Amino acid sequence: MNIRRYLNLLREIAFSQFKIKDQSTVFGFVWSFLNPLAMLLILYAFFSMRMGAEIEHYAIYILIGVIQYNYFATATSTAMRSLYSMKQLATSTIFPKDVLVVGVVVANAVEFILSMLICVVIACASGIPISWAVFMLPLVIILQAMTVLWIGFILATLFVFIKDLGHIYEVFLRVLFFVTPIFYALSFAGNGLPRYVLLANPLTHLIGFSRDIIINGKPFPAAPFAILLFANLILLLLSIRLFKKFEKKFAEYL
Amino acid sequence: MEFAINIKDGCKAFALERYHATMFRAIKRKILRRPFSAQHFLALQNINIEVSPGEKIGLVGDNGSGKTTLLRTMAGLYELSGGHIETRGTKMILSGFGLGMCDELSVEENIYLYGTIYGIGRDDINKNFHEIIEWAALQKFVGAKLKTLSSGMVTRLAFSISRHVQADIYLLDEALSAGDKHFKDKCGQVFEDYKKGPKTFVVATHDMEFVRRFCSKALWLHKGSQMAFGDVESTLKQYADSKA
Repeated sequence: MNIRRYLNLLREIAFSQFKIKDQSTVFGFVWSFLNPLAMLLILYAFFSMRMGAEIEHYAIYILIGVIQYNYFATATSTAMRSLYSMKQLATSTIFPKDVLVVGVVVANAVEFILSMLICVVIACASGIPISWAVFMLPLVIILQAMTVLWIGFILATLFVFIKDLGHIYEVFLRVLFFVTPIFYALSFAGNGLPRYVLLANPLTHLIGFSRDIIINGKPFPAAPFAILLFANLILLLLSIRLFKKFEKKFAEYL
Repeated sequence: MEFAINIKDGCKAFALERYHATMFRAIKRKILRRPFSAQHFLALQNINIEVSPGEKIGLVGDNGSGKTTLLRTMAGLYELSGGHIETRGTKMILSGFGLGMCDELSVEENIYLYGTIYGIGRDDINKNFHEIIEWAALQKFVGAKLKTLSSGMVTRLAFSISRHVQADIYLLDEALSAGDKHFKDKCGQVFEDYKKGPKTFVVATHDMEFVRRFCSKALWLHKGSQMAFGDVESTLKQYADSKA
């Protein structure tokens, strides 16, 4: 399949996914931002006095974490079920099935980008000086989309064969919410094992990069970004290979 | 000799799963070194056919005879469990009209979505957009959501779009089972035009009249086995006699 046809197909799939997501609700897209906002209010109300006492601009700090976590959780879960939810299409038509996974990731990325933009506007309105470093935010967004994509490919492949992965992943996401510095600082974990667990979580770094840009007004450190980018590239290629290896079996097992 | 589809000793077996695969069972079987499913069901066995480019094959047989499995195997959606298959040229498979369309999207958006899924370029859709709408007689419904259309209208729309799909091999699964007489007549005209063309067709159908009118050869499947392949009249007669 040529690249033009692939991109056409990706655009149509992503557009349809994006449109049908909130079509039946009165507020449409607004819901996808109200969700992190509600989360922010709850976390702020409970933790601002203690955990947030030493964190500057604690509300924006939480908001960035919640938006990035939400994109990760929603996009990977939807990507996992993408082949299954479009089962009839996946089993009865000839086209590269990976476009269904990529389409879901892209459709969710549109909301993610809009939410991050709103977050920058709120940060600006609340008195945080926005520096030129904000132009580096798209790099963080791309890196996070890459992370979501390779995890999405692996989950979508496994979910075709093992359905209880859905339940396991739900539990994993709940744990992940607390093992990501969303409403606490990295220093809260101390210097022992918990700190290393947090550092092994790519979301810790991705959220950290955005906080550097939006709250601290400085570019993120280049070395960790480069390492994460390189690791994500390798993992993305490996996950595509895994997906392609099993693609011929999907129609039979879905 | 040139061929469009060639299958030698084609077999397709499906595992008979008594339970859903769960992680616990997968690990248990791995530890006990038991294969996932010992029992298999042969959906296709000993299929030997060669289809030349431009031939129109009518695929007949009772429900459950393996017609859909054979079409999906030709499409590359299923892998053969045994034997060999080779196809030459681009393929499209159509199993039921409207597959891939979204209820929540408008008729216009669905034309682009459905057309793109079946490989029609955006430029071609733009060029033929009004013709697609007119053929389906849906001029008043361009902006309407698909869910507001009747199933007959959706079928008309899907058929109208699929006329613009460009492929060398067309694999149609019960594609003509839906629609009223007027719609079937319109579709018949489209197939009349295809009949003279160079495209290869394999059409699974229960409509024997259609096979007589459109096809140059017929293939009769029964419980996954190839009972007859060749001349339309003699194959259909054998099939009809088997039911008598």
